[in-house]
This record gives sequence, C-alpha cells and structure tokens, in this order.
Amino acid sequence: MILTLFLIISASLGFAIFFSGSKLLTKFIVIIFGLLHAAFSVYSWTRIGSTELTYFTYDHLAVLFLTILSVIGTAVIYHGFIYVSKDELRKYNIYHSSLILLITCISGAYLSNNLSALWIFAEATTLAVAGLIYHDRTTISLEATWKYVFLSSVGIALAFIGILFISMTMNGTPYNDLSFNSISAVAANAKPLYLKISFLFIFVGFATKMEIFPMHTIGIDANAVAPSPVAALISSGLVNMGFITIFRIYTSLCGSAIFGWMNNLLILVGILSLLTAAGYMLKAKHLKRMFAYSTLENMGLLAIALGAGGGGYYAAVLLIIMHSFIKSGLFIQMNQLYRVMGTLWLDKSGRYLKIFPAGALVLIVGSVCIMAIPPSGLFLTEMMIFKALVLNGNWFVLITSAFLLCCIMYALTIRIMHVVFSAPRADTGFVPDEKISAAETVSQFVFFVVVIILCFYQPPFLKEMIEQSISVLPK
Amino acid sequence: MTNYLTVMFAITIVYLAITERFAVYARLLGIQGFILFGITLSELHKVSIGDLLFVSSETLFFKGIVVPYMITRIIKSTNVVKVANDTLSGFYELLFIIISLLISIFMAYTLKNPYINTVFLTIAFFTMFSGLIIIVTHRLIISHLIGFLVLENSVFIFSIAVGNEMPMLINIGTLLDIFVGVLILGFFGMKLKPNIDELTTLKD
Repeated sequence: MILTLFLIISASLGFAIFFSGSKLLTKFIVIIFGLLHAAFSVYSWTRIGSTELTYFTYDHLAVLFLTILSVIGTAVIYHGFIYVSKDELRKYNIYHSSLILLITCISGAYLSNNLSALWIFAEATTLAVAGLIYHDRTTISLEATWKYVFLSSVGIALAFIGILFISMTMNGTPYNDLSFNSISAVAANAKPLYLKISFLFIFVGFATKMEIFPMHTIGIDANAVAPSPVAALISSGLVNMGFITIFRIYTSLCGSAIFGWMNNLLILVGILSLLTAAGYMLKAKHLKRMFAYSTLENMGLLAIALGAGGGGYYAAVLLIIMHSFIKSGLFIQMNQLYRVMGTLWLDKSGRYLKIFPAGALVLIVGSVCIMAIPPSGLFLTEMMIFKALVLNGNWFVLITSAFLLCCIMYALTIRIMHVVFSAPRADTGFVPDEKISAAETVSQFVFFVVVIILCFYQPPFLKEMIEQSISVLPK
Repeated sequence: MTNYLTVMFAITIVYLAITERFAVYARLLGIQGFILFGITLSELHKVSIGDLLFVSSETLFFKGIVVPYMITRIIKSTNVVKVANDTLSGFYELLFIIISLLISIFMAYTLKNPYINTVFLTIAFFTMFSGLIIIVTHRLIISHLIGFLVLENSVFIFSIAVGNEMPMLINIGTLLDIFVGVLILGFFGMKLKPNIDELTTLKD
C-alpha cells in the first residue's frame, strides 16, 4: 500500500512539475518529493523482509541502498537548485521532472525482487538520465546523450536476451516467473551453458549502468557532460542500481555449476577495468572525466572483491557504500570548481586553494578518500579484498591490481596537486561573476566524514545489514 | 509455416548486409515487421487473445509501418542516400554475415532444447550478430540506428521463442521496441543529423 502510494505520488509530482508556472512552485514540489523519499526510506527499515505488490521486497541490500539514495538525493536536489537557478522555467522544470523520475525508477529497481521488473525500471532510468544529460542543450551534451541512450539501449537489449535465456532454463519446471528466488531454485539443476550465456548477457547489459568494463565508455561521457549534481547521482545511485542487478543475479546463480566460472569472469573484468582506468587516468586532461574513470577503477575493484569471495563479499558491499558518498561529494564539488574557474580542463585550472580554500579542501580530502589513503574507509575495503586474494592464493591478481592502483594514485595525485597549488598552464581570462559561500561545501564534508568514520567504526546495524545481504553466498 | 517465414527473415538479413541504399534498408525493415507479424500469428497460439492482439499490432503497425516511415522521413530530411564510402565493402560484410550464420547454427544446435525450435534460435542468434556487425562496421549514425533496429528484431524473435511459456516477456520486449524506437528515431534521428559520421568531441 505504502509502496503503491510512493510510486504514484512520485510519478504524479514528476509530471506535475511540467505544468508548474513558477520556479518557486517547482522548488516546492521537489522538496516535497525529497521529504517523501526520505520518509519512504525510513518506512522501509520497518518492513525489512516483507514483500509488497508481488514484485518488490524490502530486503537488506535494497533498504540500505534506498537510504543512501535518499541521503545523496537530498544533496543532489539542493545543489541542483543552485545549478539550474539561472535557467529558464521550461529547462528548470524538465531538469527537476527528470530528476524525480530518475530517483523513483532507481528506488523501484532497488526493491524489485523480479528480474523483469528490475529490467523495466532500468530501462526507464535511461529515459530519465537522457533528459538530464541533455540539460545544457549544447552540441557536446547532445553527443553524450545520444551515446548514452544508444549504448544503454544496446545494453538493455542484450540484458533482455540474457533474461530470455534464464527463462529458457525454467521450461519444464514448476517455476514460471522471473523472481530471484525462482531463478535460484532452478539454477542448481539448469544446463550450465544456458546459465553462462544468460549471466554473460546480463552482465554486459547492466555494465552500462554499473559503469564497468566493457560498457564503461558511456558512463564516462555521461558523467563528464551531465550537470555536476546529476553526475553525482549517476555515479552513486545509478551505479548502485547496476551493481544490485549484477549482485542479485550472481547470488541467484551461486548455487549452480557456473559459480567458479562467474568468479573467474568477475576477476577478469575487474582487472581489465583497472587496466583501462589506469591507462586513461594517466593521460586524463579533464577533471570530471578523470573522476569518471575513478568510478570504473572502483567498480573493477568491486568485481575483483566478488570474484575473490570470502571476506571479499563484505568488502564489496562496504566499498560501494563508501564509493557512493565519496564520488557524489567529488562530483558536486566539480560544479563549484567550474563556477570559480570557468573550466574543468586541467591545463586551464590551478591555484584553487587561493581562489576558493573550502573547495580546495574538499578536493584534497575527497581525493585522499577516493585513493583509499588512510583514514579513508576505502583503505579498509582494499585491505579486505587483498586479504581475500591472498587467502585464495590469487597472487597474480593481487600484484597486478596493486600495481594498477599505484598508477591510478600517481595520476590522481599529480593532477589534484596541480589544480590546488600550481598556476594554470594556460590562461582562460575567466573572471567569476559570483562568490561561492563555503557553506555550499558542507554536504561534501559530511559525506567524507562518514567515509572516514567507517574506516574506524562500522555501527552494528550497518554490519548486520551487510552481513544479511551477503548471507546467501558461500562462506 | 514458421520455418518458411524464419528463412525469409534470414534472407532479408543477408540482403541488409549487402545493400548500400538507405531506402532499401527502410523497406527491408518494414518487410521484417510483416514477417514477424506472420511468425507471431503462427507461433503464439497458446497465449491469450489480449497478448496476441497487442504483439500482433506492435509488429504490424510499429515494426511494419511506423519504423520504415520514420527512417524514410530521416532519409528525406537529411538527403542521405547511401552508406559512407569508407565503410566495410559489401563483400567483406557478406563474409562476416555468413560466418555469423555458421556460428549461429553451431550455437543453436549446442543449445538444443525440447522446448525451443532450433531453426528459430538459429535465426535469432543470426539476427543479433548481424545487428551488432552493422553497428560496428558502419560509420554513419543512421546505419547505427538500422543496426540497432535489427538487434531489436532479434530480441523479439528470442522472446517469441519462449513466448508460449511466458507471454509477459513478449510484452516487455515490445515495450523495449516502442520505448527505444520512439526515443531514438523520433528524437535523436531528427536532432542529431544522422548523416554525420563524426561523434568525436568527447574523447580523452
């Protein structure tokens, strides 16, 4: 009942914004939506384990991600108001309508206990994200939107073929729905070749959303071009949606004969993601693209963590939680940097500490966090992943990933140091027409503080949620 | 009947690979829509009348009429007649297509299943590979659109293959067709100048 209300009210608010005659009214509607989403997240904690409308279950992972989405969504809404404040009413309304639609669809995807329902929500996010990436109406935003829609659609079509292969394994069994429980029940006796093909197609298809190799390119372009608050949402909420899909199908198939094969595939994809990220970050010339590649790096690590198994499972979930906070903080910061420097190209930026000290501090702390340097919580997850690799005797993967991570750290450090301390290599002649209040950086600092605290202390409720999320996986 | 229709469908795919004129592409996609309508009618006899009507009207109206009409409009508005000169030549494309047909036959027989028609599965794989080949080997955006529509048709054939067991999946596949078709053809097809081949502003 509550879920139905949430979905109907959210969709209605999203459509109502189209007809809003003033920015104030639009703002009011968006705030109402923000409060509604927060209230729904709180409600979801009281319903853990229950199912609503047949296709939606409040399981531990979904509730956890829904809460993170609510927290990050609040910051995205606030910074979105600043980003679009000078836009004309039509653009302003389309932006917020798409934002509401996107957050609603992501929430629906998190809660879906059925592969086909999840797929439909994933498809709908493509539409919503397209409207947001195209927000600036420039040639470059049109190109990025086209690439996103086209490749996402190809990915979604491939994922659908994967779903069809899963359904083929259900022929002749009493199961005829695509719920993850049914898939899990059928998997043990299913023909491994069918399962391998379906996992491969679903993985490649949803790699577009998770921003992992081989479909990472659209995420890079989308993050680089989309308004910064939207990039924050894409690299956290949407990436988490891609992860939750792959994770759910992985857990559903973990009792089948292809479990070892899936682990090997994940490790291979993880290494290739790290390699690609390191290669491109070493020659990155644009700050947002560099951070987008950092998402690829973290998703690669996450795949390795899943493939390694054991303690890697816990590390994978903890990693994606912390990555969501760090990356959204960093992308939100990109808009502030752009407003005072007029560019995100590395050659043209510099002396950020002098121009906007609070922003520079955000950039430094955020970079330390994303590079997994203590006291960043990511340090802990990387240690757990390495430990899992050592216990498995995966020395090659360990050494390769450690080397690639060093390359990534080097690339990130010299670029961030240049932006913060050095003079720009090329003069843009840009004179900022506004002064940014340091108060705008509060949300980013809060996110980073959460990540730092998680390095030293993980509250029991969080541990419990993560452990319950991975409880079906082999120890 | 279904076997004849699927073989006819495969012939349109081979023709797609060697043709260079976009007007022919539009016509072939329309013909594919009509063939899929025929396959739907002959194959989905166990599903409910409602589902059958929905899927039939989608193939006949959307795939058979709307898609070719929209492509023709794009062709007229952009004056793009043929595929780019520096694209892979018809001979090599045909070679790739034939290799993909052999791989499809091999895969379909490896996946032999009492519940699924092997000829059907072969054509579905063949169409999927062909769509991907068209996307990868062509340069113009409109060619990518055509490749994607072929890929969509393969998804449709796959979903028909399991349709009698799970009619819901066909409806979802149809949803994908309409959603992507309208969005890509209707919006980007017109806005993005599909006759251009340079989408390289965004690069590292």
